[in-house]
Amino acid sequence: MQFAPFVVQAFQVGTVVIFAPGVSGFIAKVEARLQGRRGPRVLQPYYDLAKLFGKESLAPHGASAGFLIAPIVAFACYLTVPLLIPVLTTYGLPLGTMGDILGGSLILALAAFAVAVAAADTGAPYTQMGSSRTTTFSALTEPVMLFVIFTVGFLTGTDLPYKMASTVTSSASQVLRPAHLLATAALFMVILVETSRIPVEGHSSTNEFGMIEHARTLEHSGPYAALLAWGSAMKQMILYILLINLFVAPWGLATSGRPLPILIAVVTLVLKCCAVGCLVTVIDNSFSKLRLFKITEFVAAAFLVSVLAVLTIYLGGG
Amino acid sequence: MQVVAPSAVNAVASTIAILVLLVEFGMLRAGLLRSQVRLYAVQSLIASLLAAFLGVVHQEFELFILAGLSIALKTVVVPLVVLRLVRQSGTAVTVSGSLKPAGAALIALCVAAFSFFAVGRSGLKVDGLSPTVLGSAVAIIAVAFVLMVVRSDVVSQAVGFFSLENGVSVASLVVAAGMPLILEVAFLFDLLVAVVVFGVLMRVHHDQHDTLSTARLTDLRG
Repeated sequence: MQFAPFVVQAFQVGTVVIFAPGVSGFIAKVEARLQGRRGPRVLQPYYDLAKLFGKESLAPHGASAGFLIAPIVAFACYLTVPLLIPVLTTYGLPLGTMGDILGGSLILALAAFAVAVAAADTGAPYTQMGSSRTTTFSALTEPVMLFVIFTVGFLTGTDLPYKMASTVTSSASQVLRPAHLLATAALFMVILVETSRIPVEGHSSTNEFGMIEHARTLEHSGPYAALLAWGSAMKQMILYILLINLFVAPWGLATSGRPLPILIAVVTLVLKCCAVGCLVTVIDNSFSKLRLFKITEFVAAAFLVSVLAVLTIYLGGG
Repeated sequence: MQVVAPSAVNAVASTIAILVLLVEFGMLRAGLLRSQVRLYAVQSLIASLLAAFLGVVHQEFELFILAGLSIALKTVVVPLVVLRLVRQSGTAVTVSGSLKPAGAALIALCVAAFSFFAVGRSGLKVDGLSPTVLGSAVAIIAVAFVLMVVRSDVVSQAVGFFSLENGVSVASLVVAAGMPLILEVAFLFDLLVAVVVFGVLMRVHHDQHDTLSTARLTDLRG
């Protein structure tokens, strides 16, 4: 039996939708264990989502329709990106070529834009602060992502993410070459910023002044808040998948549409995401949060690393 | 445009060279004199690892002796001596410079880009190695110069000079890995002379001005 490519593509989206809250729950559990707490259940994010979907939703006085549309737009964006990146398969799927790696980043940026506009629309001070901070820092991480994408372009000769996975698995020297390692490091630093982790933002902090991304969603409630929470879990998993299946470990992916390889791909993917989550948690517990104005230096370091990646490959041929 | 992957040996050698360069950038960022000296120790360790790695590749026992000697001298002795001098002076613990770290890093990045570009264009070929390795060695030297230019305290300038020697040793390792041991060791002892000279300089300067900053030296008066 062989699944049709469209079905496999639906599985890609389904994997991210279903397992993203679970990965978040696992990370929260590991984090708590490392801090000597028992921590919430791994399935807690699913219960939280169920609870939020059952609640009524309120909008601030004077907020426009954009405030309520934004969570749906963001969620739709996060549903689209798994179509473009290699989540489960090494071979290209039908809709995989409708956007390249730049297109994927553009859709992620659109989601961030929608949420930022909705946050600015509320008129509440904390959400507006979060919106402006997030936009500022994503403007800084954007060039880093661009240079990582340039490096991918030089490594593969294309801008399709599928090609990157097969290039990395082709030989050991592809893994060891400095451009690949530097781009991986830069992408990982960007992921720490984008998933609002230490050293950029305290993940479970409730202090509004320290918030960057989390402050944006303070005014949403009910199903809209659920969509945003689910969306941010999906965004985290999508970024982890980009790191894993493009750079670090594109092994275990299905080479055909048969059920068993697909199942193995799903299981290994979730395990790999949990492994990245463990690494992020260790960093979370070993460093302190940077002061707001020091975050630019952290991003500047990522920028330096990504520029060096392009320099070594473009000028040095390494 | 796809850039074809180099051999695995080449890839590892360039990665080690790039790591040395990254530590050099870290020195530009470091705010404490102590952390700068520690970064120098780490950098020397990585540069020595390159010697050991090339020793494995070329089957040269002399390179292992060189690696051992340079770890002993550059990761242990020199940092200890410099840290002792800093502690004895007891005046300044932070570096002083004319630029903020971000500006200095930006200049250093441009200088590093120029180094890669210059080596790539010069057509210098090392057997079996891509221009990345030599390019990063030149970039290390250039960034060390930037460090010495933008910093205005004796310790940073001394550490900048020592790390410049690390760049030279990376370059000599990749260009002439089979160089007679006596020449390589001569480089190391050159470094020791530099340590003594900088040590005396730091002591005299500190005794006369009660500071490690070089700002006073522009006065042209004793």
